[in-house]
Parts: sequence; structure tokens; C-alpha cells
Amino acid sequence: MQTSFTPEQLADPQVAESEKILRRCVHCGFCTATCPTYVTLGNELDSPRGRIYLIKDMLENDRPADREVVTHIDRCLSCLACTTTCPSGVDYMHLIDHARVHIEQTYKRPLADRMIRGLLAAVLPYPARFRAALALARIARPLAPLLRRVKPLVPLSAMLELAPPRAAVRLPTPALREARPARGRVILLEGCAQPALDPGINAATIRLLTRRGIAVAAPKGEGCCGALVHHMGREPRALDFARRNIDAWMREIDAGGVDGILITASGCGTTVKDYGHMLRHDPLYADMAARVSALARDITEYLSTLELETLPKRDLVVAYHSACSLQHGQKITALPKALLKAAGFTVRDPAEGHLCCGSAGTYNILQPDISATLKQRKVRHLEATKPDVIAAGNIGCLTQIGSGTVIPVVHTVELLDWAYGGPKPAKLTGKTLDHPDLP
Amino acid sequence: MSQTIAFLPPRAGVLSQRAQIITDLSALLPDGGLVHEARELVPFETDAYVAYRQLPLAVALPRTTQEVSDVLRYCNRHGIPVVPRGAGTSLCGGAIPQPDAVVLGLSRMSAILDIDLENRVARVQAGVTNLSISETVGPDGFFYAPDPSSQLACTIGGNIGMNSGGAHCLKYGVTTNNLLGVTMVLMDGTVITLGGKHLDAAGYDLLGLVCGSEGQLGIVTEATVRILAKAEGARPVLFGFATSQEAGACVADVIGAGIIPVAIEFMDRQAIEICEAFAKAGYPLHVGALLIIEVEGSEAEMEAMLAAIVTIARRHGVMTVRESQSATEAALIWKGRKSAFGATGRIADYICMDGTVPLGKLSHVLQRTDEICTALGLRVANVFHAGDGNMHPLILFDANNLEKAAKAEEAGNEILKVCVEAGGCLTGEHGVGIEKRDLMRFQFSDVDLAQQMAVRYAFDPDWLLNPSKVFPLEGRPAA
Amino acid sequence: MIRHAAGVRMPLSLVGSNTRAGLGNRVEADMVVTSAGLAGVIDYDPGEMVMTAKAGTPLSDIAALLDANAQMLAFEPVDHRGIMNTQGEPTIGGVFLSNASGPRRLSAGAARDSLLGLRFVNGRGEAIRAGGRVMKNVTGLDLVKLLAGSHGTLGFVTEVTFRVLPRPETEATILLRHLDDAEASQAMAAAMAQAADVSGAAHIPKALANGISDSLGTANAVTALRLEGLSASVEVRVTSLAARLSAFAPVEVLDASTSTRLWHAVRDVAPLQARQDRPLWRVSVAPTAGHRLVAALRQHVEIDALYDWQGGLVWLEMSGEPLADVVRRAIASVGGGHATLIRASDHQRSGMSAFEPEPEPVAALSARIKGKLDPAGIFSPGRMAPVVRPKAGSMGMTG
Repeated sequence: MQTSFTPEQLADPQVAESEKILRRCVHCGFCTATCPTYVTLGNELDSPRGRIYLIKDMLENDRPADREVVTHIDRCLSCLACTTTCPSGVDYMHLIDHARVHIEQTYKRPLADRMIRGLLAAVLPYPARFRAALALARIARPLAPLLRRVKPLVPLSAMLELAPPRAAVRLPTPALREARPARGRVILLEGCAQPALDPGINAATIRLLTRRGIAVAAPKGEGCCGALVHHMGREPRALDFARRNIDAWMREIDAGGVDGILITASGCGTTVKDYGHMLRHDPLYADMAARVSALARDITEYLSTLELETLPKRDLVVAYHSACSLQHGQKITALPKALLKAAGFTVRDPAEGHLCCGSAGTYNILQPDISATLKQRKVRHLEATKPDVIAAGNIGCLTQIGSGTVIPVVHTVELLDWAYGGPKPAKLTGKTLDHPDLP
Repeated sequence: MSQTIAFLPPRAGVLSQRAQIITDLSALLPDGGLVHEARELVPFETDAYVAYRQLPLAVALPRTTQEVSDVLRYCNRHGIPVVPRGAGTSLCGGAIPQPDAVVLGLSRMSAILDIDLENRVARVQAGVTNLSISETVGPDGFFYAPDPSSQLACTIGGNIGMNSGGAHCLKYGVTTNNLLGVTMVLMDGTVITLGGKHLDAAGYDLLGLVCGSEGQLGIVTEATVRILAKAEGARPVLFGFATSQEAGACVADVIGAGIIPVAIEFMDRQAIEICEAFAKAGYPLHVGALLIIEVEGSEAEMEAMLAAIVTIARRHGVMTVRESQSATEAALIWKGRKSAFGATGRIADYICMDGTVPLGKLSHVLQRTDEICTALGLRVANVFHAGDGNMHPLILFDANNLEKAAKAEEAGNEILKVCVEAGGCLTGEHGVGIEKRDLMRFQFSDVDLAQQMAVRYAFDPDWLLNPSKVFPLEGRPAA
Repeated sequence: MIRHAAGVRMPLSLVGSNTRAGLGNRVEADMVVTSAGLAGVIDYDPGEMVMTAKAGTPLSDIAALLDANAQMLAFEPVDHRGIMNTQGEPTIGGVFLSNASGPRRLSAGAARDSLLGLRFVNGRGEAIRAGGRVMKNVTGLDLVKLLAGSHGTLGFVTEVTFRVLPRPETEATILLRHLDDAEASQAMAAAMAQAADVSGAAHIPKALANGISDSLGTANAVTALRLEGLSASVEVRVTSLAARLSAFAPVEVLDASTSTRLWHAVRDVAPLQARQDRPLWRVSVAPTAGHRLVAALRQHVEIDALYDWQGGLVWLEMSGEPLADVVRRAIASVGGGHATLIRASDHQRSGMSAFEPEPEPVAALSARIKGKLDPAGIFSPGRMAPVVRPKAGSMGMTG
């Protein structure tokens, strides 16, 4: 597509990069078809092509963001289905990242919006704060319907409704992270929101890995990957998170061979894999960031290198939900299903598997209406496969889908840990699983 | 691009009443159905043909036939032009607006209304995408046959507007051959129904006239289309040739021998490289031209037809013959082909021609296309539906280089002239739109055009519907 | 000549060779203009599968030429002479202007789908070219479709260009006997849902079975499904389709020559040719509505019916009066469609339209369109719709 930037504008490397991305777009419109917001709202402004146009217009004219542009950019889930679809190879992810930073820098949001975003940015990335907030939310839950009636506070009600009704059992992290003899050694990103919402996932991962002779390092000083603030356009904070993790991991990497940095929340995985890009203009960190990104693996990517044995078939139907960050962000589609099948599960794909469940980081809090519509659509398709259990590789999806169905929703790795000798996932105990139609 | 093309002059009365029009239309379209903020209009200034751009007055996004009727009646009464838009995937600028026009988008009318397997029809709203019909009826063993490359995104309403074809229409025909009925709103707001679930409509073939009328006659809001039972099996086979001429001659001989496969697609070396880079379908990279020939039916049928085709291909010195080995591989082969235009965006900007020529002229026209582009210093990629002679030269250029852009347009015009001279036509499936409007006289006499225009006026005497498209502005007859 | 007629507003009845005379309403014309003198194939390239012929070329000439090249008209034009008791040789122009499609319409499209281009003279005496000679063509308005099936009311067609197809190597027909109309409808729907590429699906009820083909040796209902193509392919499909249909009745398979004869009889509606005194309707409805329509009508009137197009084309022979209102109400009650009166006495025709009357807005639109092609209203006035006198100054075009 033709662009019109002045040489002065292109002197800004950020703008220059966006210009390159825009030039690739041939405006064919294929992306609209797989975009969850376009499919839901039917307005091209809420489609990738529409947003690309809005961003182009804003950047070309060096204009501060305004309410109209922000409305439509905010509605983007960053699910990246468009990137999978795009035949021209438009790097939509980095374009919208740029737009979000531009918005954060040039646009003043209304008070309520600012407060909620501030609250999310201050709480979610910090496990201790988030745990405390979850406890509070359980108390405040009855207020949700009330909040829903005040428009600017709708996100708060959405937040309260997403909090799991019971406090997740805090499983003790296995003390024994070493494996003897050790076949390999990995770093496992502990994450921030995930251990607070469901500590069982990392526990299962550590069990499965150590049983297979893989030592799991727990580097000190690691924290949130930065995705949550990154998607809010709060770039400096996101980069701080990234640098902090890189520091923590480089100590470990330098100390002794690390086969990979494993991530069990694919939303985080997409971001860690992008550290190299995020910090490319930081002379001190660029190289290290690139090394870290090269080592980053989704847990299923790593597990499939371990050559797990094929197990006899078991009578359990798994509907596999492909998290957007996995299938679109990291292009991992077949691996998790192959692992589940090898472990003896019957795996079914829901219709419209490319569509987002509406979780998308903090999206279900900030855009509760669209999110709820997408959730219903996703749950309908998942339930249509008549599964005993739903599996996915991202905590956001697990929480989102779990709040819309009575069918148990677990992380892929929990099923794999169980199949290969670990305990049955907590959510599956007490259910009769040989009955396909759970109430 | 530097190119400019004339649009009908904006109606001053409409522009001066903009505020009132927006107030009125907003009232007709509750629920945020009217887009009118300046910033928000920008993405509607063009479709998938980006050579020309014009901002609209506003964009209406109705949800029902009644709302479409309300908007049209209002616009008709106040002399406001209306530009219909489906998914905005037109390659000829069929949905490009103008400053005094309301874009009427059907994207919020995307419900599948009725699937009737016994009668093998589907009734859908116009904003339903082409592919979603096949996806809906697929599990029951049926499909909707016309399959334009943009089928993932393009809408049935748009398909009807452009009488869309696709790779598989060699056997199954284009949209007009698969359309049984429409609900349509005329410019004065009148809602009419043509056809239905029966195989031939009563009276004049208005359905045939509406199909391919590029939004000139009315706005289709619902359609009844035929769905067909899927073949037992289907297999795309890759035939690699040293030259485009050999491949072209092979196509003519296959058809001449009375063999009609489901699809015969052609790619030259440039196109093969582009598509392979995106789809990784395993196209042979050492050949000068590639045919994707799809056969379908039972194993025995496919074998028999393939054997006959291979014999003919050998006569033309085929270098490689490779059958797809799995459904996944077949899907990749088609994905690469169908993404060809978009994937070209990875290496350059392009304009895409759509002339159709008699099969016997394929080799000649390919040769001339090459000569024309070379003479103008342009690269060209050829990827098209060879079985029905529908050519798609993609002329590559740099959109930020105005001189090259102008040359690309010149080359395109020259190529289309060659197509018409060869006994073909300007456009096989993309439509005339704004792109080829001024080339219509290559193909039609003034009297022919005046007659078409006159019939057009029977629907909309003031040319309010999709103005400035299809018919040359100069010398057009009065209503 | 036409320009002169337009000038003096002299109504002309446009015809080919008149083998379909009586199709449509009575035309009040001062002169009959026939295209029968315009005969001859202009261009035929079997490799391109396209033929151009003058409108008055006898269909038999074209069929012979195609046959010599192992090709055919895919839509299998129905020959109206038998049911309408007319003489002469049908012309290719007449075939397209009456959109006369036979059994293969189900799979290969109607006559209008094969028509690629034409030349015609409009009501101002101007020679117009529409369409072209390639299959895929969306250049401008599709006047070709508009003229097809317009029964000589929109223009005097002088030349047609149409697509032809390779003649199938062989054919076979699967026959089911003894099914009633409703069962036959189910069997045909089941067959069409198979990946068998059925190219003909007809049902001849018991009452008409005698008239269909002597060689079938039956006085009972037959349901016929035709398969065509390469012999290896037909064999495979016959087997799989027979397996599917054996649930409905014992399956018989007709060989190629018997099959050909059967489908000629279906195409030309042979069982309904004998009783020329009885009115005959051609009804188009959704395929599964055909037998419901007949059942609904039988509650009021005695009729005979033959089903083609999987039941979607019903040839309806009335025992007494045509009863247009009754027939049309019944069609509406089964989901819509339309009826054309093919055969009736002048007396029986009075006061009714042979073609389905259109809803007001569509009728008005059709009249406006006719006004744009034939502003003086001289082409076969009244044949398809009541004559609308054009208002002065509403003529379609300038100069």
C-alpha cells in the first residue's frame, strides 16, 4: 500500500518500522474474516484492515490519538488471527504495539478508564498483590451486578466476576526441582497471575519434567514477563519487566547450560519470544534479549523434544482450545494435540478454532461485552464436541472458558503430567469421567 | 498513486446538507449503525483496489432489509448517491465511494437463515462470507461451488454484484449459475423478491440481470444459493513445464480433448516463487510454469482422468507431475494458489488484470503480456484460471514510485486491449468497477453501452446507485 | 424495418419457426417477423467448446454438427412439438428465447446458463451486441440473460453464441419401480445428496408409466436417476448409488440406449402428448414441493403429473379447465414457484395469463425494462405480460 511519510518522520526508527509494515499491506481484506471483533461487530473499523488504516492515518499525519482511534484500537484483542491469515506477511503485532505506545503517549483517557488501567497495571503483574486482590474480590463479588449498571465501572464488575469463587489451593512448589541423573536443565517462568489463579499448572510442569530427568531452575529476581503492561502501551514499564527477567535468566544461563526458558502461559511466551525485538534499540540489552528470546519455548514445544512414549488409549475426550498466543502468536498448532493424543487422550477440535475466546490478557476486564460474546461463542463450539474436559495452554483462556462452562478446563500440561504418572488434575477429581455428557 | 480518474461531480446540495443527513440517517440506524466521524471514514475510502481513493459522506451499517429500505428511500428522496459494500475485497474498486455518497455496508447482515439439504439450497443474508456457507454445510457432505480466491472474506452480496467465479467454476459455473433467488431493495426503497428455491424464476430473467450488475440496480440483502453434494474425493495434481507457452498449449489440448477437470490453474515462475514462500505447498521451483489440475470423484474416476491428462501433458514436454498425497497437502496447494494476490504483497505492490481469452489464444496473450511489461520495464507474475481462459497478470510496481505506478496502469490497459482483440473480454470475474470503466469502449460500441445504461436506468433513473462505476461518464445517455 | 415499425408503432410478433407457437399469451400483431431466414453456423471451434450461429439455424443442424464432434448442448433442449402439437423445425434462437431446458438442467444448468453472447435488434432498430464468446465474462450488464427466455418481447435476436460440452462417453439409468410420489421425492433427494453426479432425476407415476417407453415393459410407476461420464466412472457410481437407493425399492439398471430413449421421452414429456384437448401446465417449485403440490391439487381436481428435476419441474395435465387460480394458490401454499400454461384452447385461455403474474413492483420493473429495449412496445406485445402503453417522453434512450 502506498504511504506518505516525510524523511523527517522516517528518521524515527519506530515510524520507519511501521512504515515498512504498512507497505506490505495490499488491502486485500482477508484479515477481516478471521478477526473476532469484526465477526462480532461487523464494522470494518473494528477489523485489522480498518485499524491498520486508522493507524496509518494517525502516524502519517503525526496526530495525537483521539477518542475514535482509541476506541477501535482498544477493541483489538491482539489475538493475531489476522497475522496467521495475512498472505502478505503484514506484521500487525508490532504495528499495533507501536499504536498503543503512541496512544499512551498522546492521549488522555477518561478518569475511570485511567483508574482501572492503573489498578490492573499495579496489581496483576505482582503475585502477592494479585492474591490479596483475589481474596478481596471474593468478598466484593456480590457487588458485581451493581457495578455493571454504572457504565464506566463495568470493567470492575467483569473483574470481580472473573475471580475464581474459591481460593485456589496453594500447592507447595515441589522442593525437589533437581533431577538425577539430569538429562537437561531448563528455566521455568513462574509467571505472575497464573500461580495466583492456578498454582497447579507449574506444579504439574515441574513434576513432569523432573520425572523425565529435567532439572528446573528457579532464577531469583524473575517476575512478570511484561505482557500485561505492554498491551496497555506502557512501554517503559514493559521493558523494565523484560530487563529484570533477562538479568535473572542470564545469571542462570551464564552459570550453566540451560536448554530452554519454558513458559506455561502462552500469552507470556509470545512476549518473551519478542524480547529481542522489544529491546532491539537498547544497546546494553539487545544481544542478551535476543539470546533469551531464542531460548524461549512453550512447554509443549519442549516436551515434544523429550520423545515421550505413546500410551494406550484412554476413555477420555479432550476438546483442545488453541490459545491465540499459541496458534497465532507462536504458530504452535499441532504440537499440543499430538502430545495429548500420544498420551492416550481422544482429542477433538472445536469449530472456529481460530477465533479468540475473548480473554486476551486484560481484555475481558476492559471490554467485557465483546469478551462475553466471544466467550459464549467459544464455549458453544467447545461443548458441541461433547468433551469430558477442555484443555488449553494459557491461563487467560482457562479462566475465561472456565467461567462459562461446567465442563472442567485444565492446562494441557496437567493432563500430560497425569498421563505420565502424576496425580489426576484437581479439577477432574470427583467427577465421573466416563460419562460424556456432563451436566 | 498519481493516477486520477473522473468521478461524477459531487452534488452540492448533498454536501451542504451533510449535518442534516447524518442526523436523519442516524435516526434510521439506531445502535451505532452510522459511521460519520472524519477519522472513522478514512478506512472506507477504498476497497482492495487502492489506486483511487475517495472519502464517503457517511457509512451506513444496517442490520435488516427494512433498514436498508429505509436508508435507500431516504437517499432516493434527497438525491444522495449510495455505494454498496460487502467485505471491501473488490479488485476493481467496485466499492470506492465519493464525497457525496453514503456507503451502505452489509457486514452486519451475516446470518445464515435456512439450510435446506433436501432441496440443496441455502438462504443467507448478503453479508455472509462465501466460505462460511461451505463451512456450514460441509459436515453434511455439501458445498457452495463458486470459490473466488477471496472466499474467506468476500460476501455473497459482493459475489452477486460481481458474478464472482473462482478456480472451480470450470466445472460448476460462476455465481449466476448457482444463484436461485434474492431479496433486493430498489433505490426507491421497494423490496422485491426474485426467484426462490425453484430452479428457474418466472418472467424476465431479472436474477440473471442483477447478478454481475455491480450494485447498479439495487441492493441484495438475502440470497438463495444452490449447494451441491461434495465429490467422493478430490486431488490437485501439479504439472510443471519449462515454459508458459507449453503449459498454455497443454490446457487448450486437455479441454479440446473433451476432458473437463474441476479446475485448471496456471502459475508462472514468478508466481510460483511468491506462493511457495507463503504457503510452503511444495510447488516445484525449477519449472517455468505450473498447472494445478484438480480431478475429483472416486479413486477409479480420478485415475482414469489423470491418465488421460498425463498423456496430453507428455506431448507438451511436461517436466514434473506430482499428485498431492494427503488432504493437508491438497489444502496447502490450494491455500498457496488462493493467497497468490495477497502473497505478492510480500515483494511488491501490484495491480491485477482479469481479462478472459479463448483458450487457443492463451499462449499468444501470455507472450504479449510479457512483451508489454518488459517494454515498460515492469515485472509481471501470472497466476490464473487457465481452464476457462481467465487471466490474472499481476503487474508489479512500487506504489511510492509514481512514475512506475503510471506505467503499471498503462501496461494493464494494453494487456486488456490484447485480450479483447483476441476475442475475449475485459473482465472475467472481478468486474469493471472504477478500474476498467474507461476501457469499456474497447469492447462495446456506444450503442451497446447506451442500451445497457438504459436498462440500468429502469432501476435507478438518477444514477444514485454506485455512481461513476461501470459506464464511461463521457457521452452517456440521459435517463 | 424495425425502425419503421417503431415509428408507426406497428406491433410485430417475433418468432423463430413457431414450434412453440401458443407458448404465452395471444399477441396482437400486425405482422409476424421470423428469424427462420437467418440460418447458418458462423463459428464453431470444438476445442473452445463454443459455437456461434444465426438465430434461425435449425436445431437439428446444430445437433448434427455437435454430434459429429462428440459434443452436445448441455441443457438438453426440450422439444415442444409433441406436447403442443406443432410442426416445423425448432431454431436455436427459439431454444434460447424460450429458455427451453430439459432434464440435465438439474446438473448442467439451463439454456440461459449456456448462452454466452448474442446480437439483437432493439425496438429502435439499433443492432446491439451483448456478452461475448468466453465463459467467464462480467463486463457490463448481462443483457444476455435478460434476453434469454424473453420470448421475443425485448428484441429481435439475430445471432447467438453458446457454450457446448463434450458428450458423455456413456450413460446409465437406475430405475426404481412402484414408488408413490412422496417416496419418489425422498429417493430422488437421497440420490442428489450423494457424490454420484446425477444428471437426471425424474418420476413418472403409475398413471403415465405406459406412455414413457415401451421397452421398460411396465405399467407401474418408475423413478429414474441418470448417470453419465466415462464408462469406468459410471460403473463405479452406479454401484454406489444403487447401494444407497436399494433401501427404497429393488434397483434396476438400464443400459445406455434404453436410458437415452427414456430421457428423450422425459425431456419431451411423451406421456402427456396424447390428450391434446387437456390443458397442460409447466410448474416450477422447490424439488421436494412437487409432490406436495400435486397432492394438494388432487383434493380439488383430477390431474396427471410428471416430475422432472428431482420433482422441481412438474408437468401438470388438467382434466378439464386450466384453473389458473387454483393451481397458483396451490403453488403458493407449498412454498412458492410459478406456473406457465403450455397448452390450452383459446377459450380456456381467456381471462388468464399464461405466465405467472408478477407482484406489482416486479411487474412494474419488468415493464420499465421492456420500455428501455422496446420503447414503442412493438415486440410481441402481450405475450409475456399485459400491454403497458408507454407514456410519451419516457422512452429509454436518446438518439
